[in-house]
Amino acid sequence: MRLTKFIDMLLFSLTKISAVITMLVLFLIIVYILANGIPHLRPSLFAIQHTADNVSMFPALVSTLIIVLLAMSFAVPLGIFTGIYLVEYTKKGSRLVALIRSTTEFLAGIPSIVYGLFGMLFFVEFLGFGFSVLAGAATLSIMVLPLIIRTTEEALKSVPDGYREGSFALGAGKLRTIFRIVLPSAMPGIFAGIILAIGRIIGESAALIFTAGTIPQIPQNPMQSARTLSVHMWALSGEGHNVGEAYATAVILLVVVFAINALSAFVAKRLTQY
Amino acid sequence: MKKLLIATALAVFAACGGDFAADREINIISREEGSGTRGAFVEMLGIEVTDADGTRDLTAPQAEIANGTNMVITAVSGNQHAISYISLGTLNNDVRTVNIDGVAATTENVLNGSYPLFRTFELAVQDDLSAAAAEFIDFILSAEGQNIAAERGYITVYPNPPSYTASGESGTVVVVGSTSVAPLMERLIEAFQAVNANITVQMQISGSSAGITAAINGTADIGMTSRPLRETEAEQVNSVHIANDGLVVIVNNDNPLENLTQDEVRRIFIGEIDRWGHFLE
Amino acid sequence: MRNFQYFREMAMSRIFLGSAMCSVVAILLIMMFLFVGCLPAISEIGAANFLFGENWTPMNTPPSFGILPMILGSVYITVGAIVIGVPIGIFTAVYLAHLCPPNMYALLKPVVNLLAGIPSVVYGFFGMRLIVPIVRDISQILTGGGTGASILAASLLLGIMILPTVISISESAIRAVPVEYYEGSLALGASQTRSLFFVVVPAAKSGIMASVILGIGRAVGETMAVVMVAGNQAVIPTSLFRGARTLTSNIVLEMGYAAELHREALIATAVVLFAFILLVNIVFTRLVRRRERREK
Repeated sequence: MRLTKFIDMLLFSLTKISAVITMLVLFLIIVYILANGIPHLRPSLFAIQHTADNVSMFPALVSTLIIVLLAMSFAVPLGIFTGIYLVEYTKKGSRLVALIRSTTEFLAGIPSIVYGLFGMLFFVEFLGFGFSVLAGAATLSIMVLPLIIRTTEEALKSVPDGYREGSFALGAGKLRTIFRIVLPSAMPGIFAGIILAIGRIIGESAALIFTAGTIPQIPQNPMQSARTLSVHMWALSGEGHNVGEAYATAVILLVVVFAINALSAFVAKRLTQY
Repeated sequence: MKKLLIATALAVFAACGGDFAADREINIISREEGSGTRGAFVEMLGIEVTDADGTRDLTAPQAEIANGTNMVITAVSGNQHAISYISLGTLNNDVRTVNIDGVAATTENVLNGSYPLFRTFELAVQDDLSAAAAEFIDFILSAEGQNIAAERGYITVYPNPPSYTASGESGTVVVVGSTSVAPLMERLIEAFQAVNANITVQMQISGSSAGITAAINGTADIGMTSRPLRETEAEQVNSVHIANDGLVVIVNNDNPLENLTQDEVRRIFIGEIDRWGHFLE
Repeated sequence: MRNFQYFREMAMSRIFLGSAMCSVVAILLIMMFLFVGCLPAISEIGAANFLFGENWTPMNTPPSFGILPMILGSVYITVGAIVIGVPIGIFTAVYLAHLCPPNMYALLKPVVNLLAGIPSVVYGFFGMRLIVPIVRDISQILTGGGTGASILAASLLLGIMILPTVISISESAIRAVPVEYYEGSLALGASQTRSLFFVVVPAAKSGIMASVILGIGRAVGETMAVVMVAGNQAVIPTSLFRGARTLTSNIVLEMGYAAELHREALIATAVVLFAFILLVNIVFTRLVRRRERREK
């Protein structure tokens, strides 16, 4: 009896301590970025045109948005459809499902640098896209696909079967049930996955250097090279000339990620109300 | 809990602020293989040897590898026992330089030839260079282009460059290569674009070897390199010398060491001398 | 009308199936291109020399391409990161899912999400400026040397970096466990902690496992941050306080410079990385499956 009490105590305090450690570390990192970056923020960092003097991050900010949108426009429909297929259309124990599920899990584990090399060999060289926004976005969309599939799957599974049965009982077809009943109630979970995916894209640098290149410009078309904010940071810090500006870029990145998170929380809330 | 944290923090700070300990091992920080900075450094100091068996870079295997000047400076400025090397143009107050053979590492000393460690910035180009690319190279070698190099702390190599007049060419020029040359190239491109709106110059930063390769296989018009071309490379492309760049050996600001001979630098980097006590008592 | 509806149902189910096949196609393409890219190197160097060679000197003539030091470096650093990050992550997930007061949750959850989106370059800066000096001091005290850029520093940093992944996925897995489990256990007289750790967490096992696999994937695959804190020496690591080079750092350090055989050898490094992840995946799915079977 005393032993179980002790184990209880131990586990409970470990939980508390872990939460405290996580919190401390997380806040430390955020404070570190803010403290190093905010002093270097100045209006010229947002000039429309990048020059070696102003090292503007504006083109990188726009390119980041473009690459995120492009990559998500490939990955989101594919990911959600795959999730729907896996949860709604398959019978338990199907060989095909097992295959798809294990490839998805495997894809999720592949390091981004391997995606980068693959993107370079396939999109940049084999398909002849060159260092371009398109090659970068295509590579990243494969990279985040498993994340979206996985979260969609989990979200769909957590929708109670009663919803589906109710809808069928009322005479709705399968598609109607999925798009009108199941998908809306799974939306918050799916959104969480999309947010995670966007976060990964924004944070990615290794895979993009080999696929989208490093030119600090606003791309005029998808076949041009561009750098995202993360790549911009990497490029700024490399030679040691603009480390302060690199931290300032990190602050903006934080703000962007925070804004996306807040927006998604808001949207998810609206959706669940509906 | 709070007390414990404060105590740990204090202990860490106390350990950081200690005096320079000469009995400690020398922490060598080098650059990655293929880096132009490393290539030039090991070649000049005889750290790279060529004999009947081929060419070998003898840099001590325990040397930490930093992939960028920023990382080198961060590592040396935070570590009392570190030694490394960077380009003179990127030197700042976070670290200090060591005199080589008694000569201080300054731009003047590189210019007058007394400071021995410097490398060349070159461009690798094909014979059938496009008119737009040729125009850009003319600009780099002109008084205007060379002035930009001099302003940024690089050493110009042509005594009386001609002044530049735009000829009205148009086209696109792709420049690929060395991270070390890139900061200078970026300025050159901007100044060039200001007088030549019809020529677009695009730069991709990768590395010296990648730049030369790109010029050889034609994916770039101009390859930037911060090390001399190897023989096999020189057979396939021409090189255009655009500037020199001093290389400085740097140590931590707390390190009292003033001077090293070239041979001492070599012996440190191949791991023969591994204690600061060899120089300091 | 009914026909049209039937047609629509059929068409959509085909589209769903087609989407699902995309990930299979992607995997096949990746394998094809990487394997084709590395074959020349493997045939020239020899698979055994490549995998078990202890020297990596690509710029020498003749060059030597042995990646054993990098394989070991990746293994050590990943194990370190898992030892540090996974327990903290799972415990924090339990805290977030069940023990956390709502206002605390409103603070912590966005921060965890925020950290998932921070680029690894930023983590690298953080590690270089804060973790490496601390590890250096510890190592100077304990071993009288070392630069701080070491296996330990890399493991600590990666341990932190995998936290958001482990926490988010474990938390949703724990939340997905029907609340009846928890309440049932409480009703049977088990304490709150006991119910959580012996009923709820085991029920969320497959989700937690997935989070660990993703965490391992992130740790093995992390590149830009590891390069900044691991020291990157291509020698077989001998101590926690000595540096090591991972497979990923090897690629990112030299890809910009590599040509011909060197480049193919780096692609082959990526294939090894790929195989490594495959192995981890297989082992873990086997483990989970076997345990599930035994419990049945």
